[in-house]
Amino acid sequence: MALVTLEHVTKSYPAADRRAEPVTAVDDVSLEIGAGDVFGIIGYSGAGKSTLVRLVNALEPATSGSIRIDGREITGLAERELRGIRLGIGMIFQQFNLFDAKTVRGNVAYPLKVAGWRAADIRARVDELLDFVGLADKAGARPDQLSGGQKQRVGIARALATRPRILLADEATSALDPETTHEVLTLLKRVNEEQGVTIIVITHEMDVIQTIATKVAVMDRGRVIEHGDVFDVFSGPRHPSSQRFVGTVIKGVPSPAELAVLRERHEGRIVTFSFRDGDASQAQVFIDLAAAGLEFELVYGGINDIRGRAFGHLTLAIRGADAAIDRALETVARHADVTEAR
Amino acid sequence: MDRLIELAPEFWTAAAETLYMVALTMLFGGAGGFLLGVGLYVTRRGGLLPNVVVNNVLNVVINFFRPIPFIIFIAAVQPVTRAVIGVGIGTDAAIFALSLAAAFAIGRIVEQNLLTVRPGVIEAARSMGAGPWRILGTVVVPEALGPLILGYTFIVVAVIDMSAMAGLIGGGGLGYFAQLYGYRQFEPVVTWAAVLLIVAFVQVVQYLGNWLARRVLRR
Ligand SMILES: Nc1ncnc2c1ncn2[C@@H]1O[C@H](COP(=O)(O)OP(=O)(O)OP(=O)(O)O)[C@@H](O)[C@H]1O
Ligand SMILES: [Mg+2]
Repeated sequence: MALVTLEHVTKSYPAADRRAEPVTAVDDVSLEIGAGDVFGIIGYSGAGKSTLVRLVNALEPATSGSIRIDGREITGLAERELRGIRLGIGMIFQQFNLFDAKTVRGNVAYPLKVAGWRAADIRARVDELLDFVGLADKAGARPDQLSGGQKQRVGIARALATRPRILLADEATSALDPETTHEVLTLLKRVNEEQGVTIIVITHEMDVIQTIATKVAVMDRGRVIEHGDVFDVFSGPRHPSSQRFVGTVIKGVPSPAELAVLRERHEGRIVTFSFRDGDASQAQVFIDLAAAGLEFELVYGGINDIRGRAFGHLTLAIRGADAAIDRALETVARHADVTEAR
Repeated sequence: MDRLIELAPEFWTAAAETLYMVALTMLFGGAGGFLLGVGLYVTRRGGLLPNVVVNNVLNVVINFFRPIPFIIFIAAVQPVTRAVIGVGIGTDAAIFALSLAAAFAIGRIVEQNLLTVRPGVIEAARSMGAGPWRILGTVVVPEALGPLILGYTFIVVAVIDMSAMAGLIGGGGLGYFAQLYGYRQFEPVVTWAAVLLIVAFVQVVQYLGNWLARRVLRR
């Protein structure tokens, strides 16, 4: 059974004034998030990503639809009961949202106090958490004495304090430089692997998804337009919006503009070969082309690796007699997708 | 100068009255204003406990009373003072009027300072399952403590100023002293003695407030 189940969930905000239309931030979304997943949600600004996760821990009530956490329906629960649900769901934020008036220790201890832990247990748990995120020496520091990466690690320790099964990360690395981003993502990966925490990561950066997510949903104007295994969505995005996102991290099929440049620089016919794991290796393509006596060069593309599974698109400029090329492409088409640019 | 030495007992009594009025005003008005400010803050739209009706009522009440000049307010409120305190004149009556006026001003200042707390921090506390009153007490107020202290300091200074008008209803204090023995009897030295002591009060209060706020902010 899925840990988080959304069925036909819609969230609309009332119009700002009488004449305006209400804003539908989340529009008929159905998703299942399994225990142990790192579930990525990607989409442009305003797509409704933040709204969607804020429905999961009921910071906002859904307008309609059903949301179940571990089988328990949370729509329609009273505020008091929702507080109990929220204790079991950690959340981290783009702006970290640490309590500036409290020390690092005070920040991490806060949710434990809310949960009613005993002082001695709180102390031990905070030590354990600060150790886990590598900030044991910063227990007495104030948030404004920390770097961005350190702040987010405090945020992670604080979110994990009550041993939640689910962690929501809303653009948790968007305010960080690439190196620090990597550090925080590595930590999140450990949280997932070592503690079995299910993580929902919101981002507008595809490489964040590529680094840690196992599943991904692409959102556009409130809707989930595509979702599935990261490998499937990366290797064969169907929706134009997903294709644009995938294109930010993966050199796939050249765009018309890129194609024009390639044509200018290279003679011959421009053909893209697409591979997915399980398909015959790319070497076979080169062997076939060489056997046909054709001259070719690699002009665009690359092979990607997602969690040990490879896929990619290689675009070649092929020179030779047209008939020979046609025959060779037919052979190759048996173990790779062939698209010729025209 | 001789006259001032002669008046020394009255001078120190007046100083004590001013201190007494300001201290009690800050106690009652400070508490009342805090409640008003918190009420405004939590009931506003998108607040911790949104309530349009309560919020509108509080706003209208504060907006009605706050702009009334204290010298008019202290006279206008006299029937209420008499009903609550038993008498309409004297130091206690003055404290009542001062507290009321201060509470309206403090209410706004408290509201404004609480509003400086980043919404994200409140969202974080909510995401941990904290309820509205806990968030108010353990997140919002501590996060806004520095500016709150400066806001209260500002009000103490304003109350010292307002307390000078307490003489109007027989409240005594340094303002009244300066008026009675200095201004009316053409004794500028006496007037200036009262002025200097008031300035000294203000300086000390402002210094303490700044020091405390700095300590809190650098915790
Ligand atoms: N409290 C609110 N009241 C009214 N409209 C809102 C509210 N919160 C969000 N919206 C609207 O809902 C839509 C989705 O917003 P949301 O913050 O979920 O987008 P997002 O995908 O997280 O964007 P970003 O990447 O910029 O954070 C936007 O059009 C936004 O203006
Ligand atoms: Mg967002």
